[in-house]
Amino acid sequence: MAQLLFNGLVTGLLIALPALSLSLTFSVLRFANYAIGAQITLGAYAVYLFNVPLGWPLLLSTAAGMVLAVAVGLLVQALAYEPLRARSSVTRLVASIGVALALENVVRFFAGNSPRGYGVEIARPLRIAGLRINQEQITIMLSVLVALVLVWVVFRFTRLGRAMRAVADDADLAAVRGIRRGRVVAMVWVLASALATLAGVLIGLDATLDPQMGWNYVLPVFTAAILGGIANPMAAVAGALTLGIASELATLVMAPHYRAIVAFLVMAVLLLVRPSGLFGKQWVAK
Amino acid sequence: MSAFELEAVVAGYGGRAVLHGVSLSIAANGSLAVVGPNGSGKSTLMKTAVGLVRPTSGRVLLEGGDVTRLDAPGRARRGLGYVPQEANVFRNMSVRENLKIGLEFVPGRVRASFAQRLSAMLELFPELEPKLGTLAGHLSGGQRQMVAMAAALMPAPSFLALDEPSAGLSPRNAALLFEVIGRVARYGVTLLMIEQNTRLGLGAADEGLVLVSGEVKAKGPAAGLLDDPQMRSLYLGSR
Repeated sequence: MAQLLFNGLVTGLLIALPALSLSLTFSVLRFANYAIGAQITLGAYAVYLFNVPLGWPLLLSTAAGMVLAVAVGLLVQALAYEPLRARSSVTRLVASIGVALALENVVRFFAGNSPRGYGVEIARPLRIAGLRINQEQITIMLSVLVALVLVWVVFRFTRLGRAMRAVADDADLAAVRGIRRGRVVAMVWVLASALATLAGVLIGLDATLDPQMGWNYVLPVFTAAILGGIANPMAAVAGALTLGIASELATLVMAPHYRAIVAFLVMAVLLLVRPSGLFGKQWVAK
Repeated sequence: MSAFELEAVVAGYGGRAVLHGVSLSIAANGSLAVVGPNGSGKSTLMKTAVGLVRPTSGRVLLEGGDVTRLDAPGRARRGLGYVPQEANVFRNMSVRENLKIGLEFVPGRVRASFAQRLSAMLELFPELEPKLGTLAGHLSGGQRQMVAMAAALMPAPSFLALDEPSAGLSPRNAALLFEVIGRVARYGVTLLMIEQNTRLGLGAADEGLVLVSGEVKAKGPAAGLLDDPQMRSLYLGSR
């Protein structure tokens, strides 16, 4: 049971970063970014490019991969989403499906379909208090926790964070208070792309890299974000942890390969019973 | 020189004009109330003044400078404060954060720290002091109006635009709010106000302007408009 809870916590933390990224873009741009899965894949492969073919250390490769993914994120915003700014959220959601297909196939074009892995040594699992803990799980936990604390600090205590929350709360009011929406939107893509890249690296460390890797996370990430209240970024993290633990505990009563059904069930029940999520209400009210 | 002017402004939405050549001017430290029936174009006039709607022709002048091409953040940086109707605070932020945002994105207007400006605002709106840590969305309508006004005044704007300040307030709270607007006017700010409640609006301003179907039907001293029986019966209603 304790092992299941621990594994669920790690799974939840893996989902938390892209859920936070999705919720961040939703809260400011008011559309559900379906391309979040492709951004995970793109980020993972951008880091792979620096880590394996160029032989850079993983930490440095992650930083370089983030820069590359952020540049792509800003380019996509300028070319695909900004021209559709005045259109409905459904139009932009459909555009993000197109972006997802394009990004995924760009990765496929350059990297092929074969699974790949980062240039890191395989380490023995540790035994701590009866729990079997992989090195990758420790890396995942520490990285995600540091990233979450950083994002929280930015959100709560910085000028940028206040600007993001202000635009998310009321874009017109933010404008008359002197906040330039364009700059805030750009910073949202910087953060969202960086978070998706980190998620991609951690998922790649946990399993392997393949062009479908991000796609496999789309449903859990959307479920986690909706579970928290999609316009509430930090609540999306709580949604991710809840979903991760629920998925692992479900293996007590069903075969592990049916675990994904939990995300479907949670999303279906939420959409029927409480579409605003456990903590959110804002976007539904609007 | 006027502190604020609209010159023959035509503006609207999606190619449909709502304002048809509206002109007005407000002297420095003066106040103007724009009144008129529903659908007269008052909100469009306000949005055009603050930069949320761009006019298709005409000019907007702030302290003599042409700000027609500036967007809302650009006009805020030039000293234009705005208190929108009802949705006028960041509801998911505390009162303190609302006031902080009021100052930190409008650089260069004042050389004062946040603490100094906060203290000045609490002097003007002492009711807000015990509420600084409260989420703005949890306040009453009247308290939210005060937060919105204090946030707009944080960077010491030279010009303040108030959009239907009495909207959604009980008569008692509306009267209290207009007492506050009187305090703000004495603070040395030029005021433009649109107001559905004719008596309150004209009662609080030096000058008045009657807008009907996007056109100026009358303008002059507010007290004169309020006392003119013909104006009252034709355009202002009995309120």
